[in-house]
Amino acid sequence: MSETREITLTVNGTEETIEVEPRRLLVHAIREDLDLTGTHIGCDTGNCGACTVLVDGEPLKSCLMFAVQADGSEVETVEGMEDHPDAVDDLHPLQEGFHEEHGLQCGYCTPGMIMSGKALLEENPDPSEAEIREAISGNLCRCTGYQNIVKSIEYAAEKLADGERDDAEAVAADGGVSSADGPASFDGYDVDDDGEFSCGVENCCGGPSTDATHRGDER
Amino acid sequence: MKSAPFEHHQPTSVGEAVSLLESLDGPTVLSGGQSLVPMLRFRLANPDVVVDINGIEELDYLHEEDGSLKIGALARHADVEHSDLIAEKYGSFADAAPLVADPQIRNRGTVVGSVAQADPKGDWGSLLIAHDGEVVAQGPDGERVIPADEFFLLPYDTALDEDELITEVRVPVPSAREGSAYHKLKRKTGDYAMAGVGVRLQFDDDGVIESAGIGMTAVDITNARASDAEDHLEGERPSPDLFEEAGELAAEQSHPESDEHGDAAYKERMVDVLTQRALGDAAERAGVVRRTVKP
Ligand SMILES: Cc1cc2nc3c(=O)[nH]c(=O)nc-3n(C[C@H](O)[C@H](O)[C@H](O)COP(=O)(O)OP(=O)(O)OC[C@H]3O[C@@H](n4cnc5c(N)ncnc54)[C@H](O)[C@@H]3O)c2cc1C
Ligand code: FES
Ligand code: FES
Repeated sequence: MSETREITLTVNGTEETIEVEPRRLLVHAIREDLDLTGTHIGCDTGNCGACTVLVDGEPLKSCLMFAVQADGSEVETVEGMEDHPDAVDDLHPLQEGFHEEHGLQCGYCTPGMIMSGKALLEENPDPSEAEIREAISGNLCRCTGYQNIVKSIEYAAEKLADGERDDAEAVAADGGVSSADGPASFDGYDVDDDGEFSCGVENCCGGPSTDATHRGDER
Repeated sequence: MKSAPFEHHQPTSVGEAVSLLESLDGPTVLSGGQSLVPMLRFRLANPDVVVDINGIEELDYLHEEDGSLKIGALARHADVEHSDLIAEKYGSFADAAPLVADPQIRNRGTVVGSVAQADPKGDWGSLLIAHDGEVVAQGPDGERVIPADEFFLLPYDTALDEDELITEVRVPVPSAREGSAYHKLKRKTGDYAMAGVGVRLQFDDDGVIESAGIGMTAVDITNARASDAEDHLEGERPSPDLFEEAGELAAEQSHPESDEHGDAAYKERMVDVLTQRALGDAAERAGVVRRTVKP
């Protein structure tokens, strides 16, 4: 056994100090030293994405990284989702989405899917279906056929956008912006030929997004 | 399975890393870890000492300097994927980046680590060959520059010495009439190539091909150069017939092996097709031809 080292991680907002051997994988530190077993191990070789966590905001496979390499970093796991500011009744909109849209069957891949989904929505709040599929392309699901996982993430994107609009309306009600100014303050949205908004979901938002361009579209 | 125990060093400068590599017994460099961590876990690699270079900030760059595109050892696949400079001027790199592995692996794995890994199925080595690139290494005796053609020796074996650190890989900045492209055939998203072809075409002012570079992925024991096809292209004007002949020559020079994903004859045929497609893209990007029908 090699010498252990003390490392400090901020896990879901809480600072944790643990002793690990250099050869200890981050996923084992999370599951066994920190008792956070929501992060799964599916393949152990970097292929399946079940172990995906966010390290300093970036989705990484925690079976392909040693815990000592995360020393001083912020780590987010699925357990942190319920305490997220966007969570309502202990469920983050992504978790609610997987529930509402039947985004899981056995659930093995779900924590990794949720973390990949979270990273995507933070960078691109209004992703296209292709962008969602790209973002979860490192996560394998043996059960669902992916269709409902995509819908779950779309659900969360809409829900989060609704939340933002509610916030904006609250500001308007406070006299921040008069509703008569509303439409003019929107710019740059896409309207499809048939007049549907580009999210493609009927009556989803009742209004355009202010941010219709994403990095993925420019690539 | 767990890795065998190892000592973990985290230098913060190239100088410190090189002196660690020189003074320690049997060291291994750890970069993105996307290939090395599984190798350690399966005990395909059993180093006593690991020199982790992730804390060496001076190696985190991707820029043009002194006539070269320089990719520092800590530039991740995702940095190439999201770079405006790459999108604007380096078609082959822009093609390849989103085709390497998957988003999580691209966030962590590095271009240089991939070149050092020298997997014949790795994508970046083919581009280094197509672009006449170089590998820059720092060792106890200072800096050494190794041309791509001399770097890849055997699968997972390179011209690098154990006490050397690759600091960067670089390729010449393209001239005004140059275009490049990368095409890769894979079974599913996130997979290594069944076959891949990277090409670079440089034209003179009359639209004649002045120099051509073609690197192939996963169809030989290392990333390999299709030199017969290159020779055939140079001095000629681009045409579908010429590209067809070049595709055939590249296929003839490839040596794929049959495996569960396809037999050798199929892969050779794919080298032919991918070469023609990449040549078409490269010529179009150089601004010398305009295709009306996309392949
Ligand atoms: C599921 C999966 C799919 C993948 N798919 C692809 C793919 O489609 N295409 C592709 O090209 N790759 C693919 N890879 C490999 C991936 O690109 C790795 O990131 C890459 O091969 C290694 O880079 P790294 O930075 O992770 O290096 P590491 O894993 O840290 O190191 C790899 C090797 O290079 C050595 N090394 C690293 N950096 C240096 C340096 N600066 N100086 C000297 N030696 C060094 C290490 O000692 C080690 O031997 C895949 C990997 C996985 C797990
Ligand atoms: S357990 Fe990490 S990718 Fe499968
Ligand atoms: S729900 Fe079973 S693996 Fe995805």
